[in-house]
Order: sequence, then structure tokens, then C-alpha cells
Amino acid sequence: MNSATQTLLTSLRTTISNIQANKQTFLISVMTIAISVGILGLFLIIFLNLNALLTSWNQHVQLVVYLKNDISFAEKSDLQDLFKSNSKIQSMEEINKEKAWEEFKLTQKNSGGLELDLGFNPLPDSYRIRFKPSENRSLHISEFAEQVQGNRGVESVEYGKKWIDRFEKFMIFCQVFLLGVGVLLSLGLILIISNTIRLSIYSRQEEIELMLLIGATPSFVKIPFMLEGIFQGLIGSLVSLGFMGAVYSYLKNQFQPSIDSIARGMEFQFISQPFLLILVGLSMLIGFVASYISTYQYMQVLNKK
Amino acid sequence: MIQLFNVIKNYGSGKPALDDVSIKIEKGEFVFLTGPSGAGKTTILKILFGWEHFEEGQVLVQGINVGRLDPGNIHTLRRSMGVIFQDYKLLPNKTVFENVAFAQEVTNRDQKKIKFKTWEALKNVGLTPKKDSFPPQLSGGEQQRVAIARAMVNTPPIILADEPTGNLDQEISNEILKLFEEINRNGATIVFATHSQEILKPGKHRVIVLNRGKVVSS
Ligand SMILES: Nc1ncnc2c1ncn2[C@@H]1O[C@H](COP(=O)(O)OP(=O)(O)O)[C@@H](O)[C@H]1O
Ligand SMILES: [Mg+2]
Repeated sequence: MNSATQTLLTSLRTTISNIQANKQTFLISVMTIAISVGILGLFLIIFLNLNALLTSWNQHVQLVVYLKNDISFAEKSDLQDLFKSNSKIQSMEEINKEKAWEEFKLTQKNSGGLELDLGFNPLPDSYRIRFKPSENRSLHISEFAEQVQGNRGVESVEYGKKWIDRFEKFMIFCQVFLLGVGVLLSLGLILIISNTIRLSIYSRQEEIELMLLIGATPSFVKIPFMLEGIFQGLIGSLVSLGFMGAVYSYLKNQFQPSIDSIARGMEFQFISQPFLLILVGLSMLIGFVASYISTYQYMQVLNKK
Repeated sequence: MIQLFNVIKNYGSGKPALDDVSIKIEKGEFVFLTGPSGAGKTTILKILFGWEHFEEGQVLVQGINVGRLDPGNIHTLRRSMGVIFQDYKLLPNKTVFENVAFAQEVTNRDQKKIKFKTWEALKNVGLTPKKDSFPPQLSGGEQQRVAIARAMVNTPPIILADEPTGNLDQEISNEILKLFEEINRNGATIVFATHSQEILKPGKHRVIVLNRGKVVSS
């Protein structure tokens, strides 16, 4: 056994006995971490699901190009060439105004509305264009829409742009919010954990002083407390994520059908794997920073003596 | 091996605890540090292992300039010495065996050798029957011997002992003195602080006498 692993083993034993000696403060600290990670995780779940919803809606967005009534044959075939030349387009459907009117009337009737009979057809001819699923699908759509808009014979284009833009802005706000909450909770946790570690240090004061007097290195003294902080972060986040995972699978079983009806093909999301790792890693990092602060401060006090 | 040059130590107001102290101790020597209570014996020992700062002068221990030593490196100095504290400083919630093993664990000795060396040190001070007792269950002399075992277990080149026969009766004091002489024969340099005149009587070792922070004779 080399001396590094031996130090680690000895430290680990000290850490465990420290935890046993201060079970209550340890548990309180772990619970605080768990609750904080829970809050962050909850926001993350909401965010991820909104994001998935946005993506799922985005994938259903299609471009409708309304044609002028007096569009010439040449203009129409120019338009069709333009559609064919774009590789992002999945399919294109021509809908003449009679068909559109029938469809419209049918949906009105089915939803229990009045049966419309205006005596004339107010709808123009149109093309309904579907795009292939891709990362920047909505960007492609809006770019292409602008291109089409300029063509002769085109009355107007429609693809719910404003609405998507607004939703996307809202998602950016969510990201900033999430980051803000994360930073605040992290700072709070650092304060709380460093306090528990400080208590742990003071309960071992006599032993620490002796260790240093008989030749222990500062890091030998510090490592058990650093480990304690890291453990708190690890256990706290695991408890929290485990609990959330259980609640998630319960909710998913209960509500997946109603989600299906809001957004077809969207699955109720849990925190995705990279975010799980980030949350656990972040908690451990917070534990490390917090215990580093306490041990550093304690050593400064000792050195001043 | 150990040298103090014109050391001045002031704990605060009043006259200095050490006033221009110069001492030289050779490798392998056995030296008594004596003088009345408050003379500065403990202060000298504390300075030697970097527990107290001093205002002026220089201190060299095994080539280490103690006054210039960075707090992060004090362990290099302390690993070259075994210290027996006036108040023993045994950990009350560890057994005798664990207390002695502890000195090796914190200095990262080979785990396999720790048991063996702890056993050997306890045998040297005659405490193997008490290895599973806790310090509060021991007599003063026994606690003293645990402290000695802990100081010698890493076989340091220097042993600093602060009143190791403090409150012990004459017979036990002589036993303990013999222990130190034995350690000394094995090559360690010994600095033995005591206010007792009894123990100096045989006159076998060099004596440095302090009074009110000054070296009176050496
Ligand atoms: N921590 C301290 N704070 C203030 N004064 C101290 C401290 N330690 C020792 N002194 C003073 O320094 C002088 C020397 O003390 P010390 O070295 O303990 O003497 P000795 O060990 O010879 O009895 C005494 O006057 C004592 O009162
Ligand atoms: Mg003293």
C-alpha cells in the first residue's frame, strides 16, 4: 500500500468517526442540501419539460403559403421550383380553396360551432409545407418564409412565428432564472456546510492540535474534514435525486396520457443524465469549497497562535 | 544539532520570558534544563518545536532555521523530535495502544509496522498490560510512560521532555530517568526540563540552569 492510499484510508476512518460523533449536525446538513438540490431539481424538471414541449411543438410547425387569387401559372411553377430546391423540406401539399373551405367548415361543425354558409369562399389557395425534423427547424422555417414572402403571387405566409419567438424568449428567461436560483442556493449551502464542518472541527480541536504538535502535515489534518464536506454534498444530492426520481415515476404513470393529448409524442421528462451528474458534482464541489473554507480559516487561527 | 543564539521571547507585557538566551546542544547529548518555576524551561522547549514564536535571535535545529520556518512546513521540524508534554496531552477517548499508534498514523508510517512498533514502545515503558486502558484510568506515572512511549515510537533523533517526572515519587522518577538514559544510549539527543534538584544529584549529565529567562550556567 503506498502512502497516498494509506493517508486516504486513515482520513476516511477519521471522517466516519467524525460523522458518527456529530450525527445530528451531519444529518441536518445533508437534509438542507437535499432540499436545496430538490428545489433546483424541480425547477430543472419544469424547464426541461417546457423545453421538450417547445421542441415538440416546433416539430409540428408548418409553413402555410397563401396565394393571390390572380396568381399566374408561371409564378406558381416558380414557387414550386423554390420548394423543391430546398433540401430541408419534407413534403408539400397543395390545397385549393374549395378543399380548405370544406375542411374549415368541417372542423367548425365538429367543435359544435355554427354551420357556416357565407354563400362564397373567403379562403385563398395555399401550399402547406412540412419541414424535416432538425435542430434549427424553426430557424429554417422563418428564413424560408421570408424568402417565399418576396415572391410574386404570394399573398402571405404563416407559421406562428411570434408565438414561437415569445416562447423561446421565455425559455431564455427560464435559463437565467435557473442559473440565478442555482447560484443563490449554492452560496447558501456553502455557508451552511462550512458551519457544520466548523462544528466538526471544533469538536476535534484537542486532537487536531495534538496531531499538528506531533508532526502531522496540515493536509493530513484537513483531508478528513474535506471528505466530510464532500460526503455531505454527495449524500444530500443522492437522497434528493432518489426521492425526486420516485415521485417522477409515480407522476409519469398518472399523467402521461394527459401529456400525450397536449403534445403528441412528448414524454414527461426527468432530469436528464448530464444534469443529474452536474447536480451531484455541483453538490460535491459545494461541500468541498465549504469545508476548504472552514479548514483554511481554522488553520489560519492556529498559525496566529 | 540544537542551537539558540541570543533568543528573546516576550509573551506580552512585563519582562521577557527568555532574555538573550544562547545554548548549544551537541548530537547525542543528554542535557538537563533546570531552574525554578517560571524560569523559561517550557518556553525554550516550545520554541524548539515551533509552538511559540520568538521576537529576536536565531534557533537552529538539525540545520532547520526555526524562526524562518513556514507554518506549512513545521511538520518537518516536528517529525525530527519526540515531545513529552508537561500535561501529557494524551487523547482520553483512545486507548493506550491507540494513543501510541496515533503518533505513527499522523506521520504516515507504514501501516504494517505500526502495530509492531507500538507494541515494542509499550514494552519498553513496561505498559503492555495496560494497552487497552484509557488514559483517565491510569495513574500519573502510567500516563507519563504512555507519553514517553508515544514520543519514542518513531525513534526521532531528538527527545524533548517537559517535567517528565513532575508529580511522581522518587522511585518512579528514577525509573523514568533510566528510560531516557536508555533512549539516549540508542542515539537520541535528550533535552530534559525539570525543576527537581533530586534528579540532578547523580551528576551524570550536563545541566543548563535558567533563572528568570536568563542562562545562569551551562
Ligand atoms: N502563554 C503564556 N502567556 C503569558 N505568559 C507566559 C505564557 N507561558 C509562560 N509565560 C510566562 O513566561 C515565563 C516562563 O514560563 P515557562 O517557560 O512556562 O517557565 P517554566 O517552564 O520554567 O516554569 C513565566 O513568567 C510565565 O509566567
Ligand atoms: Mg514548565
